[in-house]
Amino acid sequence: MKKKITKLNTKHTKKEIEHAKVSVKDIKESTKKSPPIVMIMGESPMVEQYAELCAGHGYDVYVCWNKPHENKFVFKSNKIKIVKVIPKNISVTVELTNTDLLQKRINIENISKAVSETTSILSSSITVTATEQASWIIGRHRLVGISALPAFVEKPLVEVAPTIYSPKETVEVVQRFFNSIGKEIEIVQDRIGMIMPRIICQLINDAIYAINEDVASPQDIDNIAKNGLNFPSGPIELIEKIGIQQIYSVLKALQNELPEERYRIAPLLKQISLTGEWWKR
Amino acid sequence: MIKNLGIIGAGNLGYLIARHAALAKISVSLYDVNETILRRTIEQIKADIRKAVNLGKIPQEEFSKIMERIRTKTNLPDLSNCDYIIESTIEDLQVKQDLFKQLDLNTKSSTIIASATTIFSITSIASTIRNPERTIGIHFLNTFEPRSIVEIISGHRTNPATIEQTKALMNSLGKNFVIVKDVPGFISNRMLNVFFSEALQLLDNNIAQVPQIDRIVKTIGGFTTGPFETMDQIGIDAIFNKSKVIFEQSFYDSRFKPNLLLKQMLESGIIGKKTGNGFYAYEMK
Repeated sequence: MKKKITKLNTKHTKKEIEHAKVSVKDIKESTKKSPPIVMIMGESPMVEQYAELCAGHGYDVYVCWNKPHENKFVFKSNKIKIVKVIPKNISVTVELTNTDLLQKRINIENISKAVSETTSILSSSITVTATEQASWIIGRHRLVGISALPAFVEKPLVEVAPTIYSPKETVEVVQRFFNSIGKEIEIVQDRIGMIMPRIICQLINDAIYAINEDVASPQDIDNIAKNGLNFPSGPIELIEKIGIQQIYSVLKALQNELPEERYRIAPLLKQISLTGEWWKR
Repeated sequence: MIKNLGIIGAGNLGYLIARHAALAKISVSLYDVNETILRRTIEQIKADIRKAVNLGKIPQEEFSKIMERIRTKTNLPDLSNCDYIIESTIEDLQVKQDLFKQLDLNTKSSTIIASATTIFSITSIASTIRNPERTIGIHFLNTFEPRSIVEIISGHRTNPATIEQTKALMNSLGKNFVIVKDVPGFISNRMLNVFFSEALQLLDNNIAQVPQIDRIVKTIGGFTTGPFETMDQIGIDAIFNKSKVIFEQSFYDSRFKPNLLLKQMLESGIIGKKTGNGFYAYEMK
């Protein structure tokens, strides 16, 4: 597998590598000059969380939202502006859609057309791989996958998944960007669910199976997780923190990618995601 | 109210239950076939209580009263007066079933018999007893923590009175509890099984390496230890054996399929911190 990746990596065009090198230079330069600009698109609450995080570290932030009448986002920082059209002078773009993959594709395509070929596109890749996303656009060397789930955005570490198209220069840009907002990175393979979302969503899925089978009450499951196993949160209370649609999307993507029994979604979880409510007898 | 508690097995768990019970003013009959272990356990409890007295946590005059509450036994029929018995013997289904069979013959029909199993079905353990209504499972977790939690496992024929008496006993021992159904792995092992097997899948698929996965789980997930560190601490042997039991008890549902790497580590004698070698290397003291 490693050999295969090496071989594919050699297929970068000179143009792609040059663009990536310019991109590194750009972000190095831009951090010296006036505040660099980050553009963020995607789903609430991750958009708000990332926007506040970037603004808090000195970035000017544009949140691109083309339905302002819905008034979806609320921001504390005055460094954050909501825009309808993707601006051109962007240092880094962050796309944070996990549930609506059609909208995600539209966002990624629009970003890739609007911003320069030297602007890195960091995109949540827990429900669709970064490699697949890169295949949607021209200038695919710009796109790198990141792990983004609502409960984990503010943590000091982020999982990063370069694609087979990503030259090391793009990864350097990503590293520099995350360091600048107080995060370290851990580079992992570009796979659905990445590490933490996959483990957490699987724990939640099994806990929902247990509830459906009447093994224990939701409160007791959380109690055992926290006080018996020293987990930081119970799997049921994590549903509230992460959001059932996000969890369902990760599990659905895992189930499609890995057709094994262990990735079968608990029917109750599917029902909760459809109705937004707990099943009641 | 339980007045006479029988404890079978004077190992780590037996020692802890006996100490808690004596402090809760419950008379204890501590049984083990090995007199040396019994003596060592009593000495250990004595030392604990003495330490608590020296720290002013227990009045001096209580010391002898507490110690007098614990009687050691080496004959099973000597537990016939107990109104509640907890067995904490080795994790072997056959051993536990045989023991329950003997207890059936040597106890009053009103005596509740609990198994402190960490993995086996209480319904299976109690299959050798004539009136399984009086049997129950108690899975002690985080045993060294104050106010630690237990899973009370209700077997297929456990009656409500047995559950109520068990809850009362756990309250007396200062334990929090949850009631769970008798399913493979209960809740705790089942959750741990998912936690470990998903991390192992990620490793098998070369998505990330052991230290990376542990770092991500700790830093992003907020866990105190990563899955591989935890497996090393618990022991690869215990983890693999439990996953095997869950798989077998689930009629080989592939959701619970044990991991090949764990099997190979076990067969190679790489079983974690206790042998100095697991997913990480450890310096042996």
